[in-house]
Amino acid sequence: MLRPEKKSVATLFVSRKTWLHKLHPFNKLAYILLTGVVVYLGPAEWYVKAILIVLNLGLAIRGEVFKATWRLVWRTLLPLAFFMIVIHGLLYPENRTILISFYGVHFCQEGFLFALNILLQLTAVLTASLIFVLCTHPTDLITAISQAGFPQSLAYLVGSPMLLLPMMRARIRTIQDAQRSRGLDSEGSFKKRFLALFPLVAPLVLGSLVEIEQRSIALEIRGFSTTGPKTSFRTLSDTKWQQLLRWAMLSVSMLIIIYRIWK
Amino acid sequence: MAQSEKISKTFSTVTLALIAFAIVLNMAIGQLVSLLKLPIFLDSIGTILVGILAGPLAGGLTGLLTNLIWGLISSPVAAAFAPVAMMIGIVAGLCAKYGLFKTWWKVIIAGVIITIFNAIVAVPIRLYMFGGITGSGADFMTAYMLALGKDLLGSVVVTVFTSNLLDKVVTALLAWGIVKALPERTVSRLSRIDSVAT
Repeated sequence: MLRPEKKSVATLFVSRKTWLHKLHPFNKLAYILLTGVVVYLGPAEWYVKAILIVLNLGLAIRGEVFKATWRLVWRTLLPLAFFMIVIHGLLYPENRTILISFYGVHFCQEGFLFALNILLQLTAVLTASLIFVLCTHPTDLITAISQAGFPQSLAYLVGSPMLLLPMMRARIRTIQDAQRSRGLDSEGSFKKRFLALFPLVAPLVLGSLVEIEQRSIALEIRGFSTTGPKTSFRTLSDTKWQQLLRWAMLSVSMLIIIYRIWK
Repeated sequence: MAQSEKISKTFSTVTLALIAFAIVLNMAIGQLVSLLKLPIFLDSIGTILVGILAGPLAGGLTGLLTNLIWGLISSPVAAAFAPVAMMIGIVAGLCAKYGLFKTWWKVIIAGVIITIFNAIVAVPIRLYMFGGITGSGADFMTAYMLALGKDLLGSVVVTVFTSNLLDKVVTALLAWGIVKALPERTVSRLSRIDSVAT
């Protein structure tokens, strides 16, 4: 049985009433693109990336999502930074200049700087994407997709997984419990555990696949595949200058890309 | 006109419901499989299933959207690997189209092909965006290869290929087994079912 536990899955979205939250989702997406292009194809100097990071953190403060941004950046990048600095500091193939040396192990400058550069790039792109993720209600994104003239089906594909996920998780718990109570061997040898894979996965997938038919009939009944314009419950503010801003960011990104290919 | 007709046939309402379900499956299955403590994540099983059942276009879309939505609900890093997931769906769909999902040993070949194309897209992303390190257990492998004197590209290629081979082959086999076990009435609603011998 499928029992919905919660109505929808928790996204990273933080509900506030700032201008960043009201900004059209596509503008925030274009900003991620622009940041990515500048970071990876723009000037190689480290301070360009540092300026972008400061700018993004500033935006996060204006959007009142600084705490969440800060926490997510550390959670994502701390393990990465640890592996990156240790592995490249010790093993980067172009290591020459020894910074620290202990018991015959050399920690080198080239690998360290390489790791720092990668981490700066990642932080810049990550903070830009977090501004989008934290300040955009998923429904706004879905509304934006369908209002921009993309097919209604695309909006459905972005929206419905978020509603289905809690149900799927509930179903997985049921299967886990059922198989455990039947004596599924999750402690045994590699071969035993390997053979247990199919009986664990098959009921989940088969059960859901059969349900798809009902789901699609439900969609059909509600006129999902009809053509013609559809009215949306939510409206998004999309002013002239917002559209201008969007196109400006896209054009600058394109120009940088073309410039790099040209060179 | 023919092209748009083809697209609307690919994306019938059943296919849409299938894709939506497959996206959720990709995201949730890790929780189920973790019970067995195997070095397998199965996070592309939905993508491969859609590739088999609805073709390369739908498969690619499934992979792409899985990682983008993942980026929205847990960590934006997943979104960076969206092109990889898309490639998996496209290649799985093409493998099915050319009859590689008919017998078990052909399915294993399909799994290997998927792993190769997975590496072709994943290696540049891992290398240029992440400097070869992603903060997971696979990093030890990269470190080991580097310690053996391989260059960064070589180390990342070896890591991506070996850490995915078992997972993708097992995923392909499971997807094939599941499609074969589908009841007739569901099967008849899906367009590309001929790609699997029944």
